[in-house]
Amino acid sequence: MNRALLAALENIYPADRLLTRDVELLPYESDALTAFSAKPGAVVLPVDEAEIIYTVRLCHEMAVPFVARGSGTSLSGGSLPIPEGLTIGLNRLNRIKKIDPQQRIAVVEPGVINLHITEAAQPYGLYYAPDPSSQSICTIGGNIAFNSGGAHCLKYGMTSNHVLGMKVVLADGAVTQFGSESIEGVGVGPDLVGLFVGSEGLFGIALEITVRLMPQPELYRTVLAAYDDLGRAGDAVSMVVASGLLPGAMEIMDRLAIKAAEASVNAGYPDAEALLIVELEGEAPQVNAEFEQLRRIIDASGAFESRVAKSEAERTRIWKGRKGAFSAVGRLSPDYIVQDGVVPRSRLGEALLEINALKAKYSLDVANVFHAGDGNLHPLILYDGREDGALEKAEALAGEILALCVNLGGSITGEHGIGMEKRDYLPAMFSEEEIDIMQALRLAIDPKEIANRGKMFPGGEAPALARQGMHPLERAGVISRE
Amino acid sequence: MRHQIQSDDLRAPEMATAIEKCVHCGFCLAACPTYSLLGEEMDSPRGRIYLMKNVLEERLAAEDAQPYIDRCLGCMACVPACPSGVEYGDLLVSYRALQEAERQRPPLDALARKLVMETLPYPKRFRLAARTGALGKALQPALPAAFAAMLSLLPDKLPPPLPLPAILPAQGERRGVVALLPGCVQAALAPEINYAAAHTLAANGIEVHNPPGAGCCGSILLHIGAEAKARALARDNFTQLPADVDAIITTAAGCGSGINDYELLFKGQDDAERARAFSAKVMDFSAYLAELGLRRSKGFDRERRVAYQDACHLLHAQGIHSEPRALLNQIPNLRLLPIADAGMCCGSAGTYNIDQPVIAAELGRRKVESILALELDLVVSGNIGCIAQLRQQLALLKNPLPVVHIAELLWQAYAN
Amino acid sequence: MTISAPATVDELQTLIRDSERIHVIGKGSKTALHGNVNGAATVGLSEISGIIEYQPAEYTVTVRAGTAVHDLSAALDDEGQYLPFDPLLPAAATIGGVVAANLSGSRRFRYGGVRDFILGAEVVDGAGRAFRVGGKVVKNSAGFDLSKFLVGSLGRYAIMTELTFKVFPDVPRFRSLAFHYEQLEDALSAIYFINQSPYELDALDLVPPPLMNRGKKDGCWKLLARLAGFDETLPQRVERFSAAMTGETAPIQVKPLEDSASLWDPLAGLAGACLVKVALSPKQVPRFDEMVSRSPRRYGVGGNIVWLETEDIKQLDAALKSCELTGLCLRGVVESAVIGAPLENVLAARVKQVLDPQNKLV
Repeated sequence: MNRALLAALENIYPADRLLTRDVELLPYESDALTAFSAKPGAVVLPVDEAEIIYTVRLCHEMAVPFVARGSGTSLSGGSLPIPEGLTIGLNRLNRIKKIDPQQRIAVVEPGVINLHITEAAQPYGLYYAPDPSSQSICTIGGNIAFNSGGAHCLKYGMTSNHVLGMKVVLADGAVTQFGSESIEGVGVGPDLVGLFVGSEGLFGIALEITVRLMPQPELYRTVLAAYDDLGRAGDAVSMVVASGLLPGAMEIMDRLAIKAAEASVNAGYPDAEALLIVELEGEAPQVNAEFEQLRRIIDASGAFESRVAKSEAERTRIWKGRKGAFSAVGRLSPDYIVQDGVVPRSRLGEALLEINALKAKYSLDVANVFHAGDGNLHPLILYDGREDGALEKAEALAGEILALCVNLGGSITGEHGIGMEKRDYLPAMFSEEEIDIMQALRLAIDPKEIANRGKMFPGGEAPALARQGMHPLERAGVISRE
Repeated sequence: MRHQIQSDDLRAPEMATAIEKCVHCGFCLAACPTYSLLGEEMDSPRGRIYLMKNVLEERLAAEDAQPYIDRCLGCMACVPACPSGVEYGDLLVSYRALQEAERQRPPLDALARKLVMETLPYPKRFRLAARTGALGKALQPALPAAFAAMLSLLPDKLPPPLPLPAILPAQGERRGVVALLPGCVQAALAPEINYAAAHTLAANGIEVHNPPGAGCCGSILLHIGAEAKARALARDNFTQLPADVDAIITTAAGCGSGINDYELLFKGQDDAERARAFSAKVMDFSAYLAELGLRRSKGFDRERRVAYQDACHLLHAQGIHSEPRALLNQIPNLRLLPIADAGMCCGSAGTYNIDQPVIAAELGRRKVESILALELDLVVSGNIGCIAQLRQQLALLKNPLPVVHIAELLWQAYAN
Repeated sequence: MTISAPATVDELQTLIRDSERIHVIGKGSKTALHGNVNGAATVGLSEISGIIEYQPAEYTVTVRAGTAVHDLSAALDDEGQYLPFDPLLPAAATIGGVVAANLSGSRRFRYGGVRDFILGAEVVDGAGRAFRVGGKVVKNSAGFDLSKFLVGSLGRYAIMTELTFKVFPDVPRFRSLAFHYEQLEDALSAIYFINQSPYELDALDLVPPPLMNRGKKDGCWKLLARLAGFDETLPQRVERFSAAMTGETAPIQVKPLEDSASLWDPLAGLAGACLVKVALSPKQVPRFDEMVSRSPRRYGVGGNIVWLETEDIKQLDAALKSCELTGLCLRGVVESAVIGAPLENVLAARVKQVLDPQNKLV
C-alpha cells in the first residue's frame, strides 16, 4: 500500500475507520462473487461526503486505485478490491436526508439500504420501486453503479429510471451535480444521470442521490402457476404479453431452483418442472378485471395447478422463495456461478432448450431462475470448487450461455453488470471501436484509471482466475483475437 | 464458499459444512445487530464466518479474530435470514469451544471462570455466594452475554425461594403431564417465573412434575467452552427428569436453545441418542401452552396495552414467534401491540455491557425507544436476559414501565 | 439556408468528416432549434427514416431517427401498443428530434419520459465514427449507457441515426375530468394528494386561468386528470377518484370532459410566436408562476413541466436564472435555444471531448 497515501489518510481517519490489519481486510476481500478475491491495501469508512471527496482526491493525486463498496452484494464482482488499492466502504453514509411525499422524492446518501427507503416512504403510502433480490441489504450507491434491477422492472424500469438527480465526485476529484427534483430532470441537456447510473463505479462515487418514489399499489394479485414443462411456462408468458396485460412482474423458476427455494423458506411451492409467478398491481377495480383475464390465460396455458395469494403473508412467502433462490442454491452445492443473460422474450424457449443441452454437455447442474417478462435469465451453474478444474468447467459453460444470449440478439448482462466476472465477454456485445470509445470516455473522466480499475473492460490488471487456452467465447466462435 | 479446513477436531465437519454453505451473499447483514450499528464487515455474520474460516485455514491468528467473534451477541438473527441455510450457531459454538481450549486467559479471568463453573449451575451455592456479595462483579468478565445478563438482576438481597411441590396437580380435567426444568441462575434470581409457569400450567389442566434433583441444563458451561462439565450436568437431568411426560418445559430461552445444541455437545458420546431424545422432549413454556390451547382466564378489568419482546434465543434460535402472541391474544382486555424492528436484539447486558458498552447501550436504547413509542402498560418477554436489559434501560430513563415474564402475566390473568 | 439530407449513414459520416461545423435537425418542426448557427452546415435527417424492426411480443421497436413520429405511432397503434413517453409534436416531428430535444407529452405522467423508454441507438459522432450505444432488448446493463445520455443532447455530442425503444400495450379507453380550484395553492395541494394516493392517472396537467379572466370570478385553475383502463372498470374508478378528490381537496367544481387528443396536447392552446419548455418540480411552481403570470402557459405531468409562450425572451431568461431553471425554446427566433441557468457540466464536457473533439456538432 502506498505509504504516503496511508499517512495522508491517517490525518483524517481515526484508527477505527482506517482498516489496515489483515483481520480487518480479509472480510473485505470478496463480495457476493466468491470465485474472486483480492485483499485491499486498506479500507476506509468515511462518515460524510467531505471525507469521500478528500479520499478520492488523494487517490487521484497519488494514482492509487480505489473501489467504492456498499454491502458487497455484487454478483459480478463489482466491488472486488484491487490488490494494494483502497476500498472505500460507504455503509456509514446511511442517512435518508429527506422524504418529500408531496413530490414523491427522497434524498439519500449512497450507503442507504434499498429497502430502508421503502420503509421510510411507507407511512406516506409510497415506496421505492427497484427491488433487487438483495434489497434488504444492498445499498443505493451500489444499485446506481450497476443499474440494479429486480423482479418488478418490467413496468417501472430499473435503478436508472428511478434516480432523478445526484451529486457525485468524479474519479479525478471534480465534484458535480446533475438532474433535479423534477421527474423531468433539468428538462434539456444530455441526461447525465442516465450516463452515470450503470457506470460500474468507473466514473466516480455518488455522494447524494435524489430518487423517485412510487405510490403503493392499492392491490396486488399474485398468481403462482405450476407446469410440468419449462417450455410451457415460457409460452404462458408470451400469452400474457400477447393479451395486452402489463403485469408488474413475471418470474419463472425451474425444478432445481424450486427445490432450493423450498428448502430455504418453505414457500409451499408445488412440485413442478416450472413455476410461473405473475403479479398484477394497481388500482383495485382495474386489477380485479385484469385478474379475470389473467386467470383465463393461465387456465388455457396448460398449468396443472394454479394458486392465488390470498393474503399479504402468502404473497410475501411466494416472493421470499423467489428472492432467496440464488443464495438457497448454497444448500444444493458448495459453489455456483450466477449468470445474468438477456434474450428476446420470444426466444426464451429456445434459450432454455440450449441451456439444457449445455448442461448435458458439461455434466453440470444448472438451476434456472428468471425475470421472464424481461427475458432476463439467471442460470445458476452448480459446481464443487474442491474438484480440480470444476470452476474452469463451470466458467466455460457460463461463457457458452452468454454467447448464446448474444447470438439470440440479447445481452450478456441484464442487471448485475459486467464487473469482474464478465469483463472478458464485453467484446461479444460491442465492437472494438465501441469499446475504444467507452475506454476513451473513461480516460477523459479518470485519466489515471483509478476508479474500480480492472472492472468492465477486458484485460485489465485486477486479479483474475488463471485461464488457460482459448476463451470460451473464442471456442464458441463469438470473439477472436486476430 | 470453498475452504481448506483440515482440522481433525471432532467438530470440524460442522464448521466446514457451515462455511461451505455460506455463499457470501450478505443477506445476513441486514439482520445483524452489530453490523447495523458498526457497518463494517468484520462485525457481520458473513465477516465472522469468513474470519473463522481464515483462522481454521490457518491464514489468520485466532487472537486477531477474537475481538470480532467476542462482539457477536449470539442472537442468531442471522440464521433465519440466511437463504443458504448456514448453521451459524453450530459454527459459532463449535468454534468458541475449539478456541476456548487454546485460549490463554489472564489469571483473574481464569479464576472467574472457575467460579462460574462451580457456582452458577447450582442454585443453592449460588444463593450462598450471592449473599457474600460482589459475586456478580467477579463473575461477569467470564460470562457470555446471555447469562451474564441475569446477574445484572442481582439484587442486594436475593428473593426467598418459592418452592414447588414435587408434583403440582392439574386443575380440573387433566390435559397433560409435563416436567419443569428448574434451570439454574434464573431459579435463584427470579423464582417467581417458574412458580408462575407451574401454576399457569396447572390452571390449564396440566400436571407439573418438579423433581428436586433436576437442575442446570449445562448451556451456560457449554457457552464458555467447558464441555465435559456441561455434559455432566445434562446427564444429571437425563436421570432426574421423568421420561414418561408429554414434554419437558423450560421458561428460559437460553436453556431451550442450548438443549437444542445437545446433538453437537454429545457428538461421539455413548449416550448421544439419549441426549437427542431428551432434547426432542424439551419445549418452551409458551410453545407448549399455545399448542395445547389456553383455558379461558379472567384477564384484566380494563384494557392493558402490552407488547411482547422477542428473545433472540426464542425467535431466531427456536423459531418461536406466533406462539406467545397467540397466548397473549387470548387474554381478555389485553391489547397486544407490535414493537418496531422486533427481530433486532435488545443488546442484553452483563459482560456485553462491560466489554462492548457502546454497542450494548445503543441496542438497548433503540429497543426501549421503540417500546416507549407504544405507550404501554406492560412489556412481556420469554427470557430473563431481555427482562433484565429492558428493566435496566428503563431505569436509566427513570421510566416505571413494568417488564415481566410471560408466565407471570398469564398467571396474573388467572389469579385476578 | 440549404439543408443537406443524407440518405444513408455512410453519407452522413462523409458529410461530418468533410464539414467544419454541423447543425442537425429532423424535419425542422422546432423552429427555434432550426439552423441559425453561425457558419454551420445544416443536416436534416428526414431521409434516414423507416421502421427497421418492430416486435410487438418483445415490447421493442427499432426505428431510423428521421422517421416521422406519427408514422411510428401509427405502426404501434396497429398492434395496440404505444410509446408511453408520449412524444410531443406528433404531427410534425421526427422521433430523433423528440429524443434530442427530450420532448414528452402529458401521458408521460403514467410511466415515464423519453429517458425511461430509450434502450439503445446507432449514432455518428463528431469524429464521423458510426457506432452503437445501449442494447436492443428491454433490459441491458452492459457498457456505459450513452443512449440515455443522448436524451436532450440537442445533437451536440453525436447524431442519432437509429433508435430502439421499449413500448407498452396501450389501454383501450380513457376518461377525463377537470377539477377547478380558486388558487394555485389549492390545485397544487390536489396534485400532492394524488401523488400520495393509489389512483393511477394516465395524465395530469394544470391549466392556469385564462389571462383575460384574471382576477375575475370565473378565473380558476383547472386540474385536468385522465384515467385509462378497461371500459367496464372506468365508471367505478372515475367515481372513486372524483369522490376522493372532492372529499380531500375541495375543488369548486368537478367537470367530466370529452376525452380527445387535443385536450391532452399541452401545446394546443399555445399558438404564440415563442414557445418554451421548462422542467421544474411542483414545489418550484408557485415562485416561478408569479414571474410568468402574464404568459399563456400550461403545467404538464403533475407540475413537473411548464410549457409557455413569451414575447419577452430576455425577461423569461432572467426569471429562469433566478429560479435556477433551464428552458428550451422550441419555436421562435432566438439567439440561443437554451435559456436560463446554463447547462455547463464537467461530466458533459468530458463526453464532448471524446465524441466531438473538434467541436463540429453545434
